[in-house]
Amino acid sequence: MGEILRLGLILMLVALVAAVALGFVNSKTAPIIEEQERMRRQEAMRTVTSSLGDSLQFDSLAVEGLANPYAMVDRRLAVVAVSDAVSGDRLGYTFVAYGKGYSSTVQTMVGVDSSGRIVGCSILYQQETPGLGANAENQPWIGQFEGKRISQCSVRKDGGEIDSITGATITSRAVSDSVREGLEAMREQDLFEGGERA
Amino acid sequence: MRLWGEFAKGIYKENPVFKQALGMCPFLAVTTSVENALGMGAASTFVVVCSNFLVSVLRKLIPRKVRIPCYIVIIATFVTLVDMVMNAYAPQLHRSLGIFIPLIVVNCMILGRAEGFANKNTVIKSLADGFGMGVGFTLAMILIASFREILGNGTWLAVNVLGERFHNQPVLIAILAPGAFIIMGFILGTFNILERRKAGR
Repeated sequence: MGEILRLGLILMLVALVAAVALGFVNSKTAPIIEEQERMRRQEAMRTVTSSLGDSLQFDSLAVEGLANPYAMVDRRLAVVAVSDAVSGDRLGYTFVAYGKGYSSTVQTMVGVDSSGRIVGCSILYQQETPGLGANAENQPWIGQFEGKRISQCSVRKDGGEIDSITGATITSRAVSDSVREGLEAMREQDLFEGGERA
Repeated sequence: MRLWGEFAKGIYKENPVFKQALGMCPFLAVTTSVENALGMGAASTFVVVCSNFLVSVLRKLIPRKVRIPCYIVIIATFVTLVDMVMNAYAPQLHRSLGIFIPLIVVNCMILGRAEGFANKNTVIKSLADGFGMGVGFTLAMILIASFREILGNGTWLAVNVLGERFHNQPVLIAILAPGAFIIMGFILGTFNILERRKAGR
């Protein structure tokens, strides 16, 4: 009995020291990590909308109701409206698409103009297979979304115009489908001018 | 001189991958490119050196009966530290290696060195052993990753070495999972032939 208690106490002590050390380092690094994450998001937001104008203003909107639970957080699509900082004209939108990939939920920052045409995409987060699905974040693959409309935004196997990555159809599909579902949700809310259809 | 022996044995004579068949999970999983192999090797080396150090320091304090849980806690703590510190101060590196860092915990090379060496040797020797094993592991990963990246992508360290045509139509299986096993088999076979020749002489 005493032996078990002694071993248990030693084990507890080891775990306690480890927990304190980790808690301390975490309290130091967590704010830095969070800040970097925020900066990266903003940076990506600017990159995907850079073709819309020079001085842009970003305001949050929220679009409700999407069928795919991975396409958003809390069943809401966080859409950011992009307008000209001077005139205030609505130029387009950005949103983050969440697609269930092969080994992670792939997050894609998407920029669209006010007619619903994609002007830029960039992968924010993925943990797909290195050498295969992970290549989704590289050019030229992610660049092919530029200029695409809702109906074109799926992989060729599904009747769209996105070329899959060889050996990584699941990742390709995750990105294309999540982007398309985001666009569809925005279309349902009549966010696009000129009645973008099909 | 003795210390050099502890270090050098990890590189060939007791290479963790080719001779002890330890750490195969990360070894086969991340060797799709030389860059990944280098990053994973560096992170694993850091963890094995640190855990060898601490296990050796505590070797008289940790009771035999609960040594394995203690080692696991020590290793997992170092891995989590590496993960958090890298994420905060080297985000670029963390982004390309992020998925592999938790894999270091399941690298049985590290537990193997704690159990097989550090808990019965002096701190200095354990440090040399951990460093040698880490370097041996890294070199082994670079070897297989070179084959896989060149065959499967036509590049080496992201530099195109086999020309544009090969790059567009590579031997894709080399970077897929089966390719890892096939190439691993060839490398182990080669090592066995070399060993046999040496023994026969």
